[in-house]
Amino acid sequence: MLTVSGLTKRYGDRLAVDHLDLRIPRGVVAGFIGPNGAGKTTTMAMLVGLARPTAGDGTILGVPIRDTARALRRVGALLEGPAMWPSLTARQNLVVLARLGGQDEDRIAAVLELVGLADRADDKFGKFSLGMKQRLGIAAALLGDPELLILDEPTNGLDPAGISDMRELLVRIAGDDRTVLVSSHLLNELEQICDWLVIIDGGRLLYSGPAREFGAATDPEVVLRPVERAALEGLSELVSARGLEPRTTDGALLVPVGGNDALALAGSLNGAAATGGIVLSEVRVQRPTLEAAYLDMLEGVHR
Amino acid sequence: MIRAYRAELARLLRRRMLIGTAIVIVVTAIAGAAIVLSAAEPAARVSSEGYTPTIESLSRAGGGTEVFRYVAAFWGTFVFVVFVGLFALDFSRGTYRTMLLRQPNRLRLLAGRMAAFLTVAAGILAVAEAATWVAARLQASGQGISTSAWNGTAALGAAVSDYAIVLVWVTGYAVLAMAVAMLVRSLAVALAVGILWAGPLEHLIQNAWASAPRFFPGLLLEAIGQRGTPRVGMTQALVTAAVYTVVAAIVSVVAFTRRDVTTA
Repeated sequence: MLTVSGLTKRYGDRLAVDHLDLRIPRGVVAGFIGPNGAGKTTTMAMLVGLARPTAGDGTILGVPIRDTARALRRVGALLEGPAMWPSLTARQNLVVLARLGGQDEDRIAAVLELVGLADRADDKFGKFSLGMKQRLGIAAALLGDPELLILDEPTNGLDPAGISDMRELLVRIAGDDRTVLVSSHLLNELEQICDWLVIIDGGRLLYSGPAREFGAATDPEVVLRPVERAALEGLSELVSARGLEPRTTDGALLVPVGGNDALALAGSLNGAAATGGIVLSEVRVQRPTLEAAYLDMLEGVHR
Repeated sequence: MIRAYRAELARLLRRRMLIGTAIVIVVTAIAGAAIVLSAAEPAARVSSEGYTPTIESLSRAGGGTEVFRYVAAFWGTFVFVVFVGLFALDFSRGTYRTMLLRQPNRLRLLAGRMAAFLTVAAGILAVAEAATWVAARLQASGQGISTSAWNGTAALGAAVSDYAIVLVWVTGYAVLAMAVAMLVRSLAVALAVGILWAGPLEHLIQNAWASAPRFFPGLLLEAIGQRGTPRVGMTQALVTAAVYTVVAAIVSVVAFTRRDVTTA
C-alpha cells in the first residue's frame, strides 16, 4: 500500500528526514507519531509531492511517489491545516477543488454529510471555527473517494469535544475499507483508533509495525493496593519472597509480570496477600499506555 | 490545464464578484471618460513627449475607444497589483498546497490559472470598452468633441485594435506579476517589489536615462498602451515586451515547479 525506502530530506545543513524506511499495509489506520520537528509533516509532504525528496524513493498504492500525478489519483490528503478560500462557502470551495481534481461534483453533498457539515454548506469558510475548517479539509480529502487518506494533525487546535468528534469521524472514514495515515500529538486518541504505528524522531524511524506489538516488550505490571497503607511493607516482602522485584508508588505495589501469565500472577499474589492477612482494595493488571511506551522509547533514544 | 482553468473560473465567476466588477466598470467608465475628455486639448497645444489626448484624435473614428485606452492606462499599477494578489495570496493562504493535492502537475496548474485570469480579464475589458464608449459618447459634446465619426466600420476596426492593445498590455502585466509572485511567494513583498520597480523606480531611471523606455518592462508596457511613444516605437515595444513576457513565464514555471510548497 505505502512503502518508502531511504527517504531523505535536507534543508541546507538540517536533515529533516534521514533515510526513512517504512511500510504501511492496506486497510490499517496508521498513527504517525513523533515530537515536534521529528519530520512527520515533511515526510507526508514528500509522499504527496509537495516537497521533493533529497534522496530515496517509495510507492503509494504501487505507484512511485515521484510520479505524483498518478499516485495522487487515489489519495486524499490534508496537510499543515485546512487551507481554503475564506470568501467562498463550504460548497463553493469543494466545487473548485472537485473541478481541479477532476472529481465527481455529485459527491460534494455526501462528503459534507459525512463530516457533519451538510447544514453549514452555504456558510463561508472564513466564518468557520477551526474544528469546522478541519472537517471541511477532510471532506475535501474525501472528494475523490480515496483508498489512502493522509491527515496531518487533524486534531490540532481542537477542544476536547472537537477532538472526540474528530476521533469518531476518523473511525467512520476508516470503516469504509480505507487506509488512513494520521499524525497527531494526542497519543491517547491515536491509541483508540490505530492498528498500526509509525514512530520517528529526528527524521529517523524508531518503530513501524502493528500497534499491539508496540510496547509489548514493556512488561505489564500487577497493581496491588492494600486497604491499610501500613501493610505496604509487609506486602512488598511477601512479593519479594517469590523472586519478584516490586516497586512502591502512591500507596500501591507495582509488580512486573516478567515471563509469567499476568492474570495468573495477579490471582496468586492476591491469594498470598489474603493468606498473609493483608486485605487488598485493588488488584489489576496494568498494561503500558501508548504514551508511556512512547515516552519510554524516546527516553531510551535520548539517553 | 482544463481542470485548473475550470476550477479558477468557478472561483472567479461568482455573482458577488460579477456585481462588484460591474459597479467598478460603470464608475470607471463614467469617471474615466469625464477625466480623459476634459483633459483633451487641441493638437497644436500638446507636446509630442507627453501622453495627452487631443480633440482632433478623439474626434476621429477611433476616438470613442481611444478614450477607453487612455482610461486603461491609468490602471497599470492596479492591474499589476490585482495579478500579484491573485498569484501571491495563495501562497500566504496555503491554498497552493490544497490545489497541488488535486492537480500535482504544476505547469498545468499555473497555465490553467493564468488562462482563466486572462479569460476573465478579456471579458471585463470588452465590457469596459463598451461602457467607456457609451459614457464618452454621452459626455463628448459637452467637451466640444465631435462623435459623428464614432460609428461605422472604421470605428469598429479601431475598437478591435484598441481592445487588442489593452489586452496585450494586461497580459504583459499579468505575466510579470506572476513571475514576481512565484519568486518571492509573499503578497506583501511581491507588492512592495513590484510597485516600487514598475512605479517610481522605472520612472526615475527614465528621467535620468533617455533610453530607459526601450529596455524596462513597465515602461515598455506603457508604450504599448500608448501605441508607441517618441522614445520607443510600437513594434520595438511589442517585441521587447514579448521577450520579457516569455522570460517571466519561464522563470515563473521554473520557480513554481522546482520549489517545495510547504511551510517546513
